[in-house]
Amino acid sequence: MHATGPGASGRVGRRRVGSVPIHAGSVMEPGPAASVVPVAGPARWEGSAVTEGSTVDPVPGERPELEPVETQEERIARFERDAMPLLDQLYAAALRMTRNPADAEDLVQETYLKAYGAFESFRKGTNLKAWMYRILTNSYINGYRKRQRQPQQQPTEEISDWQLAKAEQHTSRGLRSAEMDALDQLPDSDVKDALGELAEDFRMAVYLADVEGFAYKEIAEIMGTPIGTVMSRLHRGRKQLRDRLTGVARERGFLRGEEVAS
Amino acid sequence: MSCGQPHDTDCGEVLADVWLFLDDECDPGRREVLQRHLDECGPCLEEFGLEDHLKALLARKCGGDAAPHGLRQRLRESIRQIVLDQAGVSVSAAEVTVERRGDGTVVDARSTEVRQDR
Repeated sequence: MHATGPGASGRVGRRRVGSVPIHAGSVMEPGPAASVVPVAGPARWEGSAVTEGSTVDPVPGERPELEPVETQEERIARFERDAMPLLDQLYAAALRMTRNPADAEDLVQETYLKAYGAFESFRKGTNLKAWMYRILTNSYINGYRKRQRQPQQQPTEEISDWQLAKAEQHTSRGLRSAEMDALDQLPDSDVKDALGELAEDFRMAVYLADVEGFAYKEIAEIMGTPIGTVMSRLHRGRKQLRDRLTGVARERGFLRGEEVAS
Repeated sequence: MSCGQPHDTDCGEVLADVWLFLDDECDPGRREVLQRHLDECGPCLEEFGLEDHLKALLARKCGGDAAPHGLRQRLRESIRQIVLDQAGVSVSAAEVTVERRGDGTVVDARSTEVRQDR
């Protein structure tokens, strides 16, 4: 048996690499720092830009993200190229939020106009899709929902907590595969309706995670909540959804026999 | 809660982390612990399978609605209009048509006007 000693020299070497100054990798244009125009205007999207380290040092001349001023034509072209392809996805999300095609269209329209208005301050290299979803979500919460005067649906915490406890147990063996088969037989509209019946915050978290495939961190940025809240909404929302779907499957006669999720 | 078999990690603890695992949000160490448990515990594996199935079902059935026909074009027009409004430019449409007929030439002209207000 070979005892492999700790590669002391190797570790030191690795540490050295880590101590390279932050700015070593950035390309800096030669020229007078005074030529750099400070960017003012609407609040910038800071979401996914956290890893860039660009907020660390505000010294002019060391901000490689500044680029020549864009003409309106160029901005329209960039918006067309980058934001327009997301239209179907955003419409589908708006439809899940509003549950109504006319309202979904209005919401998407509002989102795109706001996005274009703020597009100047959107940083290239950050996550455009998450940025657009954040605008969509904010527009829905701040604008659309208030106008509709819909009372915000509050998640029923007690029921959810009880269901949460129930979730952490095995169900008996044969029933799980029966449940799986039954869920597969449900028509799309049943699944959409079941998602639509979830409380709004649960519905959006589940949609963003399972349909759009956003990471927890991105969902937290989009919904403006801590990651722990996202996890809790997902956990509860999915549990409720599974119970509803199982119930619908039973009503439709796709699932027979004993109580499943107990 | 346990399935009755001896495991390093309790089944309840594994099941509590089902979403972290399926959403790919575990750190590698935790993932390995969970994977090891799933390799030896059929009931937990099945439960994970069902939840994974549910995720896939939602992805398959709840997305994919296409935006209504014409919405894309209406958005483009709205954006163009905003840009023009911001620039203080007003544009009036213009058209000139020239048509030759057997009995002469008909010229139809409509004026063009682009005005910048600032």
